[in-house]
Amino acid sequence: MSFIHPLALVGLAAAAIPALLHLLQRRIPPEIDFPPVRYLSAAERESARRLKLRHLLLLILRTALIVVIVLAAARPLVPLQGGGAHQPTAVVIILDNSPSSGAVVDGGLVLDRLRVAALSAVERTTSADRVWLMLCDGVLRGGSREALLATIDSTHTGWQRLDLVQAVERAARMVNAQPLVGREVHLFSDLQSTALSSGHAAVPSGVRVLALAPGRAVANRGIAAVTVSEGAAVIELSGSLAGNGGTPQPVPVTIRLGGERRDRGEVTARGLATPGSDRVGGMPRSAVTVPLPAQSLTPGWWVGEAALEPDELRADDRRPFAWRVAPPARVTATATAGSFVAAALAVLQDGRRVVAGRDVVISGGEAPTGSHAIVQPPEDPALVGQANRALAARGVAWRWTQLGTPGVIASSDLAVLTGVSVVRRYRIEGADGVLATVNGEPWLVRSGDVVLLGSRLDTAWTALPAAPGFVPFVDALVNRIVIGEAAVASAEGAPHVEFRTRGADTIGATVFGPDARESDLSPATPALATSALGGKDRAEVLSAERFAGERFSGTRRTDASGLLLVLALLLAATELGVATRTR
Amino acid sequence: MAQRLDLLDPAEVARLGGIEIVAEGVVEGFLAGVHRSPFRGFSVEFTEHRAYQAGDELRYLDWRILGRSDRLFVKQFEEETNLRAMILVDASRSMAWQGAPERLTKRAYADRLAAAVALILLRQRDATGLVTFDEQVRQVIPARVKAGQWTRIVRGLLDTPDGHGTAAHAALQRLTALLTRRGLVVLLSDLLFDRELALTALRYLRHRGHQVVVFHLMDPAEVELSGPPEVRFRDPESSVSVVVRPRELARAYADTVRREIAAWRKACRRHGIGYHHVQTNMPFGLALRLLT
Repeated sequence: MSFIHPLALVGLAAAAIPALLHLLQRRIPPEIDFPPVRYLSAAERESARRLKLRHLLLLILRTALIVVIVLAAARPLVPLQGGGAHQPTAVVIILDNSPSSGAVVDGGLVLDRLRVAALSAVERTTSADRVWLMLCDGVLRGGSREALLATIDSTHTGWQRLDLVQAVERAARMVNAQPLVGREVHLFSDLQSTALSSGHAAVPSGVRVLALAPGRAVANRGIAAVTVSEGAAVIELSGSLAGNGGTPQPVPVTIRLGGERRDRGEVTARGLATPGSDRVGGMPRSAVTVPLPAQSLTPGWWVGEAALEPDELRADDRRPFAWRVAPPARVTATATAGSFVAAALAVLQDGRRVVAGRDVVISGGEAPTGSHAIVQPPEDPALVGQANRALAARGVAWRWTQLGTPGVIASSDLAVLTGVSVVRRYRIEGADGVLATVNGEPWLVRSGDVVLLGSRLDTAWTALPAAPGFVPFVDALVNRIVIGEAAVASAEGAPHVEFRTRGADTIGATVFGPDARESDLSPATPALATSALGGKDRAEVLSAERFAGERFSGTRRTDASGLLLVLALLLAATELGVATRTR
Repeated sequence: MAQRLDLLDPAEVARLGGIEIVAEGVVEGFLAGVHRSPFRGFSVEFTEHRAYQAGDELRYLDWRILGRSDRLFVKQFEEETNLRAMILVDASRSMAWQGAPERLTKRAYADRLAAAVALILLRQRDATGLVTFDEQVRQVIPARVKAGQWTRIVRGLLDTPDGHGTAAHAALQRLTALLTRRGLVVLLSDLLFDRELALTALRYLRHRGHQVVVFHLMDPAEVELSGPPEVRFRDPESSVSVVVRPRELARAYADTVRREIAAWRKACRRHGIGYHHVQTNMPFGLALRLLT
């Protein structure tokens, strides 16, 4: 039983008034001479028991009368058994057709099960109700019952993730703003735990949230992200296991490159992903790195696709990616750049990773020239000031200062640098663009089209030239870092790639795909779902049968205040009768 | 046409004047309706039979009926003269009570009724006397038939103040010593005293051969309980008080009063004592008629 005006229940304290009046308002009665007191005493003796019972009955009746009136003022809602018409209700039907609803469970689509329940809910509405439909895009759609039925009937699995907490909160606000007797939110979803992890929905009082209980959970593996860098594709996997105790198995991954560009041919590579040690959302996150034949590909933008073997949820088994294969950089090293740099460039030239030219100039302290410059500090400390002036003239915000302490290099962007020792270096001062640090101080920075090093690429300064990662470092430096990478962004949506252009140039791409959290099909527990959807006072997770019984029951609950007022009248009449009864 | 005073409201009649005027007016009206002495005694003119009661003189037994039917009956004779009557008026404090300002107190009603009875008896040449009492005998006017007796009786009534408690049996016992000759004893009282003790005295009078008639006077407010929602009722004689809600107790009180009246009536009948319940709003003529 619930109350429309629960605050009125405070008035129950008034039930103590009759007893308090009885105790506190003992008056001194007027005194009257009356000779036949002996008759009076005899009558009172005979009636004492009856009068005590009568007084007790009056006290009970008056207390009950106050209690009943207060309850009537609170307007209790008593549920009606069975069906019957409901009072006008504002209802938002949330049909979660996010990618996870495309999972196949027990031979049928999850969305089909949700759609049947949603259709049934809409069919139960009347012309007096106000009904909205929300799909995974979060848009509230109004319209006639027939229009909503048609929309639901034609709904397919979408590509957008639906945050159920936010969706329910929006829906609750919408129905709460309606001047109707009933306010309900019907949620038809697979209730993924990841869709309920954003907190707790603020559901106004008087709004009921009914959620259909999820069906059986199934295992799923999906591609969370594909990153292409330095000639290799890193494929991150996500997903869920069916039940507890399932053991993650190695997953074969296929990379197809250039499938949509027949003129360039198709490159296929395969890898085997094994579960990683890190866990995301309680599930092991795994990744596989598949090398790509960058040298054999013509420069330009390549579109590829990473694919898993089909499972219960097909939507996350494929994910596209975009990769820009750049032409070899045209590089020149000045005489002051050092022998190690020259040797590395020679190796890269042999591998056709660079060609001779002046697009990128690697120098050793003199003024940066060329459209892109990689500048090392001068060998002679006396030339540092001159070099700084040259950098300033080029518009570089960085400058070398005094010598820094030895240390090791740390870099999140260039893994090959990490851990390499530096014995001699200049401190670099300036603004943003730090690529690597030594002892927490900038060591490799970028400012526009100029890259500055804190040490010369010489074994007298650092162990890097003698390290195996030196040539890849120089390769990344000239081909990627100093030139700048093409921006590849990701967005939620149907899997495809969109390119951004500026004039005739393609300057970036956006890769669309489903949200990685959709791959985790683990349903939330009823307790978690109830808590996230408004709390146990306002939200319920119900089986299909109970859902059918409970929907609109908020308004099928009749206001019992009328009945209570009748009872109050009866009590008042009884009280009057007992109070005025002379025998 | 002038109305008969004996049939008017006692309080209205009382407003006409003092006891004498009221009594005379009432008696005039009353006698206009009867032609013979309403009082029966033991004289020479036989009138009827009645069942023998303890205390009756054996010489009035009808031996013929006894012989025929083995039942005891005494003969009654219409009295012609020389009836000795004593009027006993309760002057206790409880008698000075009235339930409403527009009604007479029980004492005022009793005084006027006593004066009227006395006047009737004296006009019939019956010796009539008066005793007033509360816890003691206050006034004793011996039964006489001479002129000025009625005036003395009226003065005796007027000179008797309202008393305190009531010890009727003591007064009645003393009265038995005063009444040496058999006659009529009329008791006017609210009977708010111990019934058994009072009955003992009345039985004694009856045993001595007196014809005893009791007028149980009550104010209507004593019959039907009413008043404020809650009230403390105090007995003016004993100062005993009790707090009640009249509306709650009205029915039980009425039952108690009814039982008390019935008990008095039954006890009096058992002992051959005439009993009449009279409320102070009853016209005097109707009260006098009870004596006939």
